[in-house]
Amino acid sequence: MAHVLLDNASVELAVYNARGRALKSEILRRTVGGGLQNDRDRSVQVVKALDRVSFEARDGDRIGLVGGNGAGKTSLLRVLSRVYPPTSGRVSIQGRVSALFDLSMGMDVDASGYDNIRMRSIMLGCDYKQAEAIIPDVEEFSQLGEFLDLPIRTYSNGMLLRLAFAVSTAVHPDILILDEIIGVGDAEFAERAEKRLHAMIEKASIMFLASHKNDAIMSFCNRALWMKGGRLMIDGKPQDVLAAYAADAKGEGE
Amino acid sequence: MGLVAGGAADVIGAFGAWRMWWMLAKNDVVRRYRRSRVGQLWLTLSMAVMIFGMGAVYATLFGTPLADYLPHLGTSLVLWGLISSTITESCSSFTENEGIIRQVALPRFSYLLRTIAKNLFIFAHNLIILPFLYVLTASPINWHILLFIPGLLLVLANLAWIGYMLAILSARFRDIPQIVTSIMQLAFFVSPVVFKPSQLRGDHPVLVLNPFSSMLDVMREPLLGNLPGAASYLILLGLLIAGWLLCLAFAGKYSHRVVYWL
Repeated sequence: MAHVLLDNASVELAVYNARGRALKSEILRRTVGGGLQNDRDRSVQVVKALDRVSFEARDGDRIGLVGGNGAGKTSLLRVLSRVYPPTSGRVSIQGRVSALFDLSMGMDVDASGYDNIRMRSIMLGCDYKQAEAIIPDVEEFSQLGEFLDLPIRTYSNGMLLRLAFAVSTAVHPDILILDEIIGVGDAEFAERAEKRLHAMIEKASIMFLASHKNDAIMSFCNRALWMKGGRLMIDGKPQDVLAAYAADAKGEGE
Repeated sequence: MGLVAGGAADVIGAFGAWRMWWMLAKNDVVRRYRRSRVGQLWLTLSMAVMIFGMGAVYATLFGTPLADYLPHLGTSLVLWGLISSTITESCSSFTENEGIIRQVALPRFSYLLRTIAKNLFIFAHNLIILPFLYVLTASPINWHILLFIPGLLLVLANLAWIGYMLAILSARFRDIPQIVTSIMQLAFFVSPVVFKPSQLRGDHPVLVLNPFSSMLDVMREPLLGNLPGAASYLILLGLLIAGWLLCLAFAGKYSHRVVYWL
């Protein structure tokens, strides 16, 4: 049973420039006091990445996130993958979450392909036995054969992606989080990768997909959220939400 | 109190994620020497060279016989390596794991445990030198050696809270690692590593007010066949309790902000 509930969740990101990071400016700020400080010379800028977002997701929901760049899609995905704790509001996420943001996370270029499979699967939350059980599946899917015995620094970019994709999609989470549908490798591999990703989406109880491609949202999702300026504008059927988003984008373009 | 509970939940959760940090720490050590012929033995070799090199110079400077001075220096250097590198590397526990922290939700303390475990592996390699050193110099070994284990645990438990606070602070203020490195360099010279505590008065501030002296004392003296001072245990226990309470409250308040600072 997977369940996601956001209740007025906000995320405020403080962006520090070099001065904000420095201890000296912090000490000066505390000791000299605010009176002397020029307000326009603030070294810390606060960005409201998510602004009081509320929604609920249940088993079977395939939710697409649409919105322009900087609308808060990625921040929302990070909240959903438990990486960003909300700075205010409440978030409750039940179920095993897996996010495919960075396929090559935690890979060690000097370790062999096999060692990387083990390391990566443990990072995805497997125990040792499960990690070993994943190996045949990755072997078969990546078709890297004896290259898996070599350090992955000897791999080409395409081979690296094959391995990373195969491992990342070997573990099936309850809640799957995708930032764009990933296309990898040559035509033959891309086709198999697509099938594998579809199977993974099928098996997940809840799926979130942020995408700029309308056809991806239409084909994978049964619900869509439109984000703008960190706020959740509309929550509804994909075609309605996409239409509203397109109308808004058009209005702003004129 | 709520803050302390929040910090404690993070620390307890980190022990539950042991597979992850254990594996990463092991890989950290293996990776450094994967393509070298002597492999992990380099750790041991360079420490051995350091001990005998410094030993020859300082035994002459202090006018003590080499057989008397070497066990002290060798043991101190190996132990100091553990203390000092754990503290300095703790500072980058979060900044170096940025990629993982931004993708997987794990208790923050797990990354500290990675740093500590890695340094323990390295420490274990260096520890190999000591039996040879003790046989070579005919250093007395007796039942006091059993006290080494509780001493080590007491020190590690203290390093853990120091490291956790430093890691959080370093994620926010990027000057902290440099400051800590300078402090640890100074600490090397004002702690009884090169010199023996007996060369100072027992109540000298360097021995009483410097917690590193106590850390060295509870680990080194058992290995050299002596009983550590009761004061050292009291100081470390006091630090352990006060430090962890402070650290848990601090972590409860700030550890969830770490991801926003990276």
